[in-house]
Amino acid sequence: MHDIIHQLDEKRGRAALGGGQKRIDAQHAKGKLTARERIEMLLDDGTFEEWDMFKEHRCVDFNMGDSHIPGDGVVTGYGTINGRMVFVFSQDFTVFGGALSEAHAEKICKIMDHALKVGAPVIGLNDSGGARIQEGVAALGGYADVFQRNVMASGVIPQISMIMGPCAGGAVYSPAMTDFIFMVKDSSYMFVTGPEVVKTVTHEEVTAEELGGAVTHTSKSGVADLAFENDVDALLMLRRFFNYLPLNNKEKPPVRQTTDPADRLDFSLDTLVPDSANKAYDMKELILKMVDDTDFFEIQPDHAKNIVTGFGRMEGQTVGIVANQPMVLAGCLDIKSSIKAGRFVRFCDAFNIPIITLVDVPGFMPGTAQEYGGIIKHGAKLLYAYAECTVPKVTLITRKAYGGAYDVMASKHLRGDVNFAWPSAEIAVMGPKGAVEIIFREEKGDPVKVAAREAEYKAKFANPFVAGARGFIDDVIMPNETRKRICRSLAMLRGKKIENPWRKHGNIPL
Amino acid sequence: MFKKVLIANRGEIACRVIKTARRMGIATVAVYSEADKDARHVGLADEAVCIGPPPSKESYLVIDKIIAACKQTGAEAVHPGYGFLSENPEFSRRLEESGIIFIGPKHYSMAAMGDKIASKKLALEARVNTIPGHNAAIDTPEQAVEIAKGIGYPVMIKASAGGGGKGLRVAYNGREAHEGFIACKTEAKNAFGDDRIFVEKFVEEPRHIEIQLIGDAHGNTIYLWERECSLQRRHQKVIEEAPSSFIDPATRKAMGEQAVALAKAVNYQSAGTVEFVVGKDKSFYFLEMNTRLQVEHPVTELITGLDLVELMIRVAAGEKLPFTQDQVKLDGWAMECRINAEDPFRGFLPSTGRLVKYMPPPELHGVRVDTGVYEGGEISMFYDSMIAKLIVHASTRDQAIARMRDALNQFVIRGVASNIAFQAALMQNPRFLSGDFNTGLIAEQYPKGFNAADVPHDDPAMLVAVAAAIHRQYLERNATISGQMPGHEFVPGEDFVVLLGADQYQATVTKAEGGWDVSFAGERYELRSSWQFGEPLYIGTLNGQSICMQIERRGLVYRLFHWGVQADMQVMSARTAVLKALMPIKAPPDMSRFLLSPMPGLLTQIAVAVGQEVKAGEILAKIEAMKMENVLKAERDCVVAKLLAKPGESLAVDQAIIAFK
Repeated sequence: MHDIIHQLDEKRGRAALGGGQKRIDAQHAKGKLTARERIEMLLDDGTFEEWDMFKEHRCVDFNMGDSHIPGDGVVTGYGTINGRMVFVFSQDFTVFGGALSEAHAEKICKIMDHALKVGAPVIGLNDSGGARIQEGVAALGGYADVFQRNVMASGVIPQISMIMGPCAGGAVYSPAMTDFIFMVKDSSYMFVTGPEVVKTVTHEEVTAEELGGAVTHTSKSGVADLAFENDVDALLMLRRFFNYLPLNNKEKPPVRQTTDPADRLDFSLDTLVPDSANKAYDMKELILKMVDDTDFFEIQPDHAKNIVTGFGRMEGQTVGIVANQPMVLAGCLDIKSSIKAGRFVRFCDAFNIPIITLVDVPGFMPGTAQEYGGIIKHGAKLLYAYAECTVPKVTLITRKAYGGAYDVMASKHLRGDVNFAWPSAEIAVMGPKGAVEIIFREEKGDPVKVAAREAEYKAKFANPFVAGARGFIDDVIMPNETRKRICRSLAMLRGKKIENPWRKHGNIPL
Repeated sequence: MFKKVLIANRGEIACRVIKTARRMGIATVAVYSEADKDARHVGLADEAVCIGPPPSKESYLVIDKIIAACKQTGAEAVHPGYGFLSENPEFSRRLEESGIIFIGPKHYSMAAMGDKIASKKLALEARVNTIPGHNAAIDTPEQAVEIAKGIGYPVMIKASAGGGGKGLRVAYNGREAHEGFIACKTEAKNAFGDDRIFVEKFVEEPRHIEIQLIGDAHGNTIYLWERECSLQRRHQKVIEEAPSSFIDPATRKAMGEQAVALAKAVNYQSAGTVEFVVGKDKSFYFLEMNTRLQVEHPVTELITGLDLVELMIRVAAGEKLPFTQDQVKLDGWAMECRINAEDPFRGFLPSTGRLVKYMPPPELHGVRVDTGVYEGGEISMFYDSMIAKLIVHASTRDQAIARMRDALNQFVIRGVASNIAFQAALMQNPRFLSGDFNTGLIAEQYPKGFNAADVPHDDPAMLVAVAAAIHRQYLERNATISGQMPGHEFVPGEDFVVLLGADQYQATVTKAEGGWDVSFAGERYELRSSWQFGEPLYIGTLNGQSICMQIERRGLVYRLFHWGVQADMQVMSARTAVLKALMPIKAPPDMSRFLLSPMPGLLTQIAVAVGQEVKAGEILAKIEAMKMENVLKAERDCVVAKLLAKPGESLAVDQAIIAFK
């Protein structure tokens, strides 16, 4: 018995060292934490329950039979973040470069299966050189096993990927199927093919950082949702992010105590929308002044900035916020912003998170780049997402809601539950200038008449009352009472229950 | 008494005049430009009249429009505030012709004092001390040099119409006199359309001390003590106080009596100010008379208990001054900080935009705030950058300074930059505290401009205690989140490491009644506060002493503002601190290869082309902001690689304009 305990201690000690002190030092020298240190940062102190610490690979080819490290390059288990359960796997770059073997994949699959069974999120901390080449197809099969579970878990439990080192080739597709991808600046990258292959095939010279670094993916490609300065910051912010999410799709989003009064008025919002329709303003000011404690967790802040997405809380409960941003491209909807917001709306819908939509949209972005890029199908994603969505939907039109974009942005017609407008709202097929040019084409040459027609059009449509008369707007509210009215609406909607017809799955325009 | 007055001004002074008029039961009319449609003074007045487009030349400076507004609203009198038309004799005369009373001096008094050369002659006649100098306009640089030699260097070269730092040069030798004359003349011609220049003795280590006085139509003229206005940045007053710590009762009396003599010489019938320059030996010389209410009048009001606006209105209505010289009080000490929308860390460049947050300190316990803006309002590029005045009153100078420091801590401004950090730094400058300073203080203390490093915190322990307590408070709240594993709930720790700059503090935070006890470095700090998440002000007590800090949570950083210091702090577990130490320190991106816009504004010109070699000091680009042209010069020799912005483009702060090789 003593002998076994002795062996256990020894095995634990070995496993804890991963690839050995030298490799740990090398990992630190790169400014990266080890797999276990990362878990330590992520979870509440002392709550990590590790599984499969003694698991080893079964490969005997290429001298692999001689080299066994308990745990086989990934640390798995569960623990809590602020007392809430989460399953975690953390790839260990010090062990075979974090390469994924069949056994490594089995460990990941095991915790994913458990997470699904008990209804708790999965967080993957990715730091892996790729498939373990010595294992061949066994490793590839391992990837696919993980992919399959990612898909089965999608929409059932939240899945979050934190890329903390290399993630290349097939390996990228597991994070790609999770709900959120976060990255660490300067030490992580993701790409399907690396710079060397790129050079051979397309003759492009590009660094790994430029091709698939955190900045690339959070600003250009939109693949990743957020980038952080270093491992510690990333994991601490991930803890904060986790606080917004429900544990699974059967639960309501979490509630955290708040001292911010639901009926707090903010008179500075009365002057937020400028007099001139062509002048921009920062929609984030409204968001910050509306949510609890000015606390807003923005998702994809550097990508498709013409739409703002993120989480906040109203009366302590998580809400998802989607808002046009007049500061960027006048808040137009385009391909990137439609995809960004569409995906965010679907996440909220899957996990029972009410959605607040703040609308100031002059329409869809015109141009060949957009049409050739398929704005029709991509714009339809956002439309589809809103229309399909059954969680509480509160919409506020602050200024422009023109054309098809009005319909898309959680309008009454797409089952918006409560649709508000500020007095500055203008709901119409298009702005006065364009409308007059079409309706009164024959008067185009006469600037006096055109001005008169514009004024006439403005008086008729540049207000929220036409929409109000039809019931498309439930009420016109003062900007200062926005928080109060939306808090009440959400409270009223807490018991909302609607279901879409049974089907295998809808056919979203992918 | 008037039934209705019109205020021909904007901003804080318009609001301040409206306040007194309202207290006196007089109806008020505001005028506003299109840019000021939603301004605070418009909302405060009983009526408001739009007088034209945003530029002052097309609105606030147009006499006809003001007179028309009076006629339209039936206003019987006009208070001009300061600036704009307040010292324009033409305005006063035109009002008189239209049967409207100007709340200010008679136009002849104004005209007599408005001209610097003429006023100096009058002063001489009234036996007021004047600076040795040449009292006639000078035509050529050669003449200027000769006259300067006669007076003795150093000399001051001044434009007759000069003011606000323009048309003013000091020369220590003939070459400087020659150059200074030419520069002044050009500036004066461009700025005022009047290029008459004169030369006088330059007083060294000068203090700028002025006498407030008030006269009525019944021959009474009373001086209301002095104001110390020596704290100036580029000839613009920054902090004013009353009384002056430099002046003894005898000098005060002598200055006051000379000021009164001068005012009587021009039959002065309103509030006015006689400015003196005072040398190290307490010798004082007349500089000029300001024939209007001054920006800094509140410090006089607080020590005398008088309302100068009320007195101006009453004497304009023909009333007699209700007190004599002997009855004027001098009670305690008052001090004023001008709160400007400018960024002290960027060479005091003006800042415009939306006031996302604006929370002045409450007007209690000797604190007064004269404000012209409100939260959600817009700081427009068309007018000057002063948005408020923070004034305190206490029994002694030290107490006034302490009160000012507290009040500055509480002044929250977000969305536009403010000079609060600079004011707070001055409030702990040893020379300012000692009272031994002159108009050169700011230039001498901050020769390279104002930097964050100029304000180290006196007592970092205060910052550490607050940051640690806030962090614990956030953790406590995290523990309230729903959906935790029953029986395995989150328990916040109480031992933390606080990072402040390069320093680490091991702090223990424990719960106490109404707050937290924070222990570190062998000391215990009892922190009591009702602060709640999201509130920008942390108000409470630390070991029984009241404290007030401003707080912003930015990601993992707690940014505290206190005593002019901006401290970025992080609080974490000891283990996290160990791992954090392994993280690479990333150098901020090298922006030295770029010309960045120092302020939001309009790019009016790029003076260089791609491939051009530029020497240090050459002009690269011009930006217009707040009606001011700002010239951006090369800091060192370089070659232009790429132009990143086009003339006509609106620039954001730190936007790259030019890339260098």
